[in-house]
Amino acid sequence: MSAIAPERAGVTTQAIEGSQPVRLAPNYWPFVVPALVVVGAVIVFPWAFTLWMSVNSWTLGQSRSFAGMENYLRLASDPRFWESLWHTLTYTFLSVVAPMFFGTVAALIFDARFPLRGLLRGLFVMPMMATPVAVALVWTMMFHPQLGVLNYLLSLVGIPAQEWIFNPNTVIPSLVAVETWQWTPLVMLIVLGGLASVPREPFESAEIDGANAWQQFRYLTLPMIAPFLMIAVIIRTIDALKSFDIIYAMTQGGPGTASETINIYLYNTAFSYYDMGYGSAMAVVFFIVIVALSFILLMLRQRSQWIDAEGK
Amino acid sequence: MASVTINNVQKAFGNAKIIHDVSVDIADGEFVILVGPSGCGKSTLLRMIAGLETISAGKIAIGEHTVNNLRARDRNIAMVFQNYALYPHMTVADNMGFALRIKKADPADTASRVKRAASILGLEKLLDRYPRQLSGGQRQRVAMGRAIVRDPQVFLFDEPLSNLDAKLRVQMRGEIKALHQRLGTTTIYVTHDQIEAMTMADKIVVLHDGLVEQIGAPLDLYDRPANLFVAGFIGSPAMNFIHGHVEEGIFRSAGGLTLPLPEGIQPAEAAGRELVYGIRPEHIRATGQGLSGTVTLMEATGSEIFATVDCGGEVISCLFRERLALKQGEAVRIEIDRASAHLFDARTGQRI
Amino acid sequence: MGSRLLNKIGLFFGALVLVSPAILFFLWMISLSLKFEIDNGAYPPILIPERFAWSNYAKVFEENNFLLYMWNSVLVTGTATLLALLIGVPAGYGIARLKAERSAIVIMIARMTPGLSYLIPLFLLFQWLGILGTLWPQIIIHLVVTVPIVVWVMIGYFETTPMELEEAANIDGASSWQVFRLVALPIAKPGIVVAFILSIIFSWNNFVFGVVLASRETRTLPVAVYNMLSYEQVSWGPLAAAALVVTLPVLVLTMFAQRQIVAGLTAGAVKGG
Ligand SMILES: Nc1ncnc2c1ncn2[C@@H]1O[C@H](COP(=O)(O)OP(=O)(O)OP(=O)(O)O)[C@@H](O)[C@H]1O
Ligand SMILES: [Mg+2]
Repeated sequence: MSAIAPERAGVTTQAIEGSQPVRLAPNYWPFVVPALVVVGAVIVFPWAFTLWMSVNSWTLGQSRSFAGMENYLRLASDPRFWESLWHTLTYTFLSVVAPMFFGTVAALIFDARFPLRGLLRGLFVMPMMATPVAVALVWTMMFHPQLGVLNYLLSLVGIPAQEWIFNPNTVIPSLVAVETWQWTPLVMLIVLGGLASVPREPFESAEIDGANAWQQFRYLTLPMIAPFLMIAVIIRTIDALKSFDIIYAMTQGGPGTASETINIYLYNTAFSYYDMGYGSAMAVVFFIVIVALSFILLMLRQRSQWIDAEGK
Repeated sequence: MASVTINNVQKAFGNAKIIHDVSVDIADGEFVILVGPSGCGKSTLLRMIAGLETISAGKIAIGEHTVNNLRARDRNIAMVFQNYALYPHMTVADNMGFALRIKKADPADTASRVKRAASILGLEKLLDRYPRQLSGGQRQRVAMGRAIVRDPQVFLFDEPLSNLDAKLRVQMRGEIKALHQRLGTTTIYVTHDQIEAMTMADKIVVLHDGLVEQIGAPLDLYDRPANLFVAGFIGSPAMNFIHGHVEEGIFRSAGGLTLPLPEGIQPAEAAGRELVYGIRPEHIRATGQGLSGTVTLMEATGSEIFATVDCGGEVISCLFRERLALKQGEAVRIEIDRASAHLFDARTGQRI
Repeated sequence: MGSRLLNKIGLFFGALVLVSPAILFFLWMISLSLKFEIDNGAYPPILIPERFAWSNYAKVFEENNFLLYMWNSVLVTGTATLLALLIGVPAGYGIARLKAERSAIVIMIARMTPGLSYLIPLFLLFQWLGILGTLWPQIIIHLVVTVPIVVWVMIGYFETTPMELEEAANIDGASSWQVFRLVALPIAKPGIVVAFILSIIFSWNNFVFGVVLASRETRTLPVAVYNMLSYEQVSWGPLAAAALVVTLPVLVLTMFAQRQIVAGLTAGAVKGG
């Protein structure tokens, strides 16, 4: 109903045919309902169910019983969990930093014009689209300490052979190398999108003011693409935290548990030991870690935008 | 075809009241133009008639039927949008026949009606083209074609010519008018271009801040503006306004300038209040008598001369039809045509 | 002018250096898949062998039921993508028009949730429903990947299509459904192509769902190739050939639809899993 006080006396006496103003705008809900049902069934229901499972004790094949916070307490005192959390954070940190660096450099290059740019960009994007498991298999062969091509390439420049993923000390950096190889293109695309939105004029006036290439990058390009860099960091963080295929296919968390991230430990708990209650609790904590980290980064992003706006 | 009745209509978006209280009666077959400055609610009112916005209060009727609760698609009206809103994935013919296709009309009948509309608008050769392959003026015609194919009760136009260049605008103005004469469909046309309003309308509705300032035939609005807003809005260059009051039967401005009272005004009815004297630039002549002043600006277009004259502090703009050898800084005497002068109450803005 | 040209050549070589890991990797992958065991074990490694081992590819298909797994992959990815388009395109439209930002947040959170946390409850649900031996569990769970991609991409597209076209159609007498089908949908066709391609790629590549839910008969290709690694005497040639077979369709798609993929990913920056 209208919330407007009638301006003039005549309006109140005006009888409106038909009862109330109806919604004339098309009804869009029917378009959304099927998706809501599906999303409810395959996304929201699992969230709720996981939460419920996490306060139960249930190993598949045995009977279920209510366990309260037991699973969470067990998690807190599980050294393997803390170790896997540490692995996850190391792995994530490296898998954000390296692709961010290479991806930004690549975006700066691909933003310029040069011969065969389209073809090279197409090739550059390939790794990101390749099936991770297939990629992981080939990398495993390349990492082979005796027969792998990587050690051969190292020997050409006089570096001694490495054990790569077969040594607990080098396994995480080696996996990060694969992750970087695969996901640098995504960073590149996001930053490239940012660069495309950068206006040309400030650069022309900076050129006239005598700013050199580095100064232009530092004081013009970087602040302007900062929001896009932040988006890339957020997406990369989420994906690196969740990384499963590469690690599982190449090391299954090994050697020993040297590359076991939460995701791998979660998999083992739920689907090797079928400890569903404990696995669910782990999933909940893992989810909280992801959301918390994303949230922190989103806050930073807000700040970076704010700085960006102030700087103008 | 049908009449349109707008009765005490109001519109609010959330807390922002956009249309305060608008009533307009539009007769069957009439060409009505809504004018007003940007943001005054013209488009909103038109969209309420079209059924694209709900009506917060009041009533809109098309013909006999109140349409407040009818959806746009059930109102049997056609609308031409400012940027034409042609379906980019359909050919000109499909664009024009879309409404009939929706109605599941006989394809042969649709084709013949499209063809007829196309021939009226000179679009026969373009029927197989896509909108992106057309010029601005052609797109404009297709948009109109889409409207006339349907043979609706009412045509609605929302600034249909504002994306065209000046010359094309003049041409399309004539074509739309001719089309209306030919089809006789009730038409409501929104513009903020008062030349369009003056040349095309049977009746002009001047809107300002969601209220109707005046409704009338174009020349009525020009000759007898009901208030200061309409007086200033209609006519180009704009009417001169001089503040002052009536003293001993003549108008005396704040700066001491004296002017003859407009014809038909008794000194008694104007005495004792703050007034605004209005005179259009084209109703001032340089006859060698009257007010003396200095030319401060002078622009000759060939057919006419626009000049501003400083008469003791009051700057008055004038439009002379004859070739005068005026120079900037020169002294000049100008005479005001009493018969065409207006007097307004300064506080209420209403005509006296 | 001279320095300008030099600049371009410099950029070209810079790009070449950055692309080289990708090029070398895929070259090596092809090389591995075309070499006999002797050549693959040679030191120093051989890039181009004297004899090509085409038999590696034949072996992949002969010994591993690969055709069945490929068919499974096609069924799972195809069905999950088509279902996602069927419900996700209208949903993207509805959300864009309703300006329902909250539903977009649900999609964002879905994007953040690790795939494994869907697996536990859905695994139990499928077990309870008794459909674990069929392809349905995988098709359904792949919707977790495909629906958000489609919805996300489509929201972006429908937000950019002008409202006035739909209003014009409304006035022309079209119902909401007709407006969607006859006006909004055809205009959003490029967006649908992007959503389709991205959905196909990320569903095809998915591994984690299959590894838990697939039985011997219902494996998809990524799972099948992984199983070759674990259960066979590891023999590099056929393994690399299998890996190439798995990823080739996606790579070909990437090559042909590069522009759409770049557009889709730059705009929405989506990735499933
Ligand atoms: N959907 C909406 N929600 C809120 N405010 C709106 C909406 N549509 C229009 N308005 C406001 O209503 C007022 C009138 O808008 P309207 O489009 O009717 O103006 P107009 O007279 O057509 O102007 P113009 O000549 O610029 O087209 C404006 O102040 C506008 O900001
Ligand atoms: Mg408007």
